[in-house]
Amino acid sequence: MGLIQKIKEGLFRYQEADHGYIARFSDVHKFLKAVENARDAGVKELDTFTPFPIHGLEKAMGIKRSWINFWTLVFGLCGVTAAFSFMVFVDVFNWPMNIGGKPHFAWPAYIPISFELTVLFGGLGTVGALIYLGRLGKINRPLPARGVTSDTMALWVGDNIGKEKFDSIVAGLADETFEIQQGENE
Amino acid sequence: MSVEAAKNPYSVGKSYSQIDDDILKPVESFPTKLWYIAISITGSLALMMFIMIGYSFYKGLGILGINNPVGWGFYIVNFVFWIGIGHAGTLISAILYLFRQRWRTTINRAAEAMTIFAVMTAGLFPVIHVGRPWFIFWPLPYPNERGPLWVNFKSPLLWDVFAISTYFTISLVFWYMGLVPDLAMMRDRVERMQASSPIGRFLLSMKKVVIRALALGWVGSGRTWTHYEKMVLMLAALATPLVLSVHTIVSFDFATSVIPGWHSTIFPPYFVDGAIYSGFAMVLTLMIITREVFKLKEYITLKHLENMGKVILVTGLIVSMAYTTEFIMAAYSGAKYEQYVFLNRLKGPYAWAFWTMFACNVVSPHFMWFKKLRTNVKFLFFISIVVNIGMWFERFVIIITSLHRDYLPSSWDMYVPTVFDYGILIGSFGFFFTLYLIFVRMLPSIAIAEVKADEASDHLAKGMGH
Repeated sequence: MGLIQKIKEGLFRYQEADHGYIARFSDVHKFLKAVENARDAGVKELDTFTPFPIHGLEKAMGIKRSWINFWTLVFGLCGVTAAFSFMVFVDVFNWPMNIGGKPHFAWPAYIPISFELTVLFGGLGTVGALIYLGRLGKINRPLPARGVTSDTMALWVGDNIGKEKFDSIVAGLADETFEIQQGENE
Repeated sequence: MSVEAAKNPYSVGKSYSQIDDDILKPVESFPTKLWYIAISITGSLALMMFIMIGYSFYKGLGILGINNPVGWGFYIVNFVFWIGIGHAGTLISAILYLFRQRWRTTINRAAEAMTIFAVMTAGLFPVIHVGRPWFIFWPLPYPNERGPLWVNFKSPLLWDVFAISTYFTISLVFWYMGLVPDLAMMRDRVERMQASSPIGRFLLSMKKVVIRALALGWVGSGRTWTHYEKMVLMLAALATPLVLSVHTIVSFDFATSVIPGWHSTIFPPYFVDGAIYSGFAMVLTLMIITREVFKLKEYITLKHLENMGKVILVTGLIVSMAYTTEFIMAAYSGAKYEQYVFLNRLKGPYAWAFWTMFACNVVSPHFMWFKKLRTNVKFLFFISIVVNIGMWFERFVIIITSLHRDYLPSSWDMYVPTVFDYGILIGSFGFFFTLYLIFVRMLPSIAIAEVKADEASDHLAKGMGH
């Protein structure tokens, strides 16, 4: 798989849980087991909602690791390039000044600002990438199930797999299950 | 609590919703009398500072104690001091994160907030020190109509502008992104709240709008968490060299000059370590107050305080070594101006400042060798204050003693701070603590999602054994 394709896959996998089946869990073990069941059953429309990050959830969901660090690198390189080339432009071409007999192209003096802008661009770029990839900023997004930001874990499965298959995935594990239609939420 | 979980000293051993209730209690309940008393004191001090600053804009910097040889006075001492305070927050949130130190979990939110407020306080000082603060945007390289006219990129003072603004931005973003899952949890709690009076209903609806916007529509999707965790790792990896660079660049302001006592290659590591030392002391001060006042002793335990005591011991020893190295290098250098500056620190007119610094920074950390003292909350509180006094005096000694007697004895002069210097110094503490007090009332002072994640991983680890 090419690099571009890999990035694209990382980009477009977020799905809104606006239709389908939801199961709520209060136990982390049972929740992970149910997610693994869904993955093993080959469910493609799948997402989880948890109040905190859970170790091993990515593997259970069968999703690839995040590519967000690629954007850190890209934005960081933009920062260092912008800073260094701008300072060279100013000191060598646009406004050459003799300051204490230092050479116009005094590259060691450019290191601190180049470094700071690498961090600034890299950091802000990473956060921007998170907001885009994680589809944050849609502030009126309905909560898929009660308590998923507090004490409940939820598994969402798209409704194309059918109720029976969903019930077999979460049988004996979920605290509660329900179905949501497009445009309505609990 | 199970036997397995009890093995981990940092386990809270509570249900997830109980953790929410405990940590959000100061945010959701009406402020106590103590909080009102505290904020009226700190707020008044901050107000006093702003009035004095306003007066200095009107009259000019002549109202301060600075004079011809001592052109950098309390303002720059305060600036370096407050920037240094901030460093412990980033150390806890980024460096201890990379080292997977679990005890950082319950203190990192407040420490990170402290960083932001300390940098805000520090940032005031260069602005009010420039004389014409309405031109403070001049250090920014913006296109202008004065022909090709740019800033001097070869000057450490300009590097400072970039270092500190980057540090502030990245710290703020890191802190805010860490808050997002907790803000979402608060949003879902606020949604369920009811108000009885019309004013209450209006305020509640405002609160709902604000918190909804701040929570960014976070629902805790598994895919978002994957990206989120990687982002935290990346920001930690960026913030780690950043925090080291900030005080390094601050030290360049001194080290690249040709003033005896400043012109030294030891300055970058010496400043960074001193910053972490004083920052940890400030974290300790704030954490002890926070856990007492808001009853968070189950989250910020004695073990956390003891660990911070150990960090103070280590960084204090490094500071002592830096002092010693400075003196040995001065003696060994054969440069008589350098030697004179150091003898002048020991025996000159500002010897009292030097020996205060020595007692506070070199002697006091040694109490931290003893477990009994390390686990005594009152003593730790005392030591944390002592260390910060010492670290303020360290900057005073570095700046004032090096400047007041320069190469030409005819230009020697004493630095005598005025009431405005003292007022603005005290007011800066008021400003800092006011911001902190507002923070603990408005936002969860412990990273709730991280505490829960640790609890869940204990729970999972326990399950594997079956």
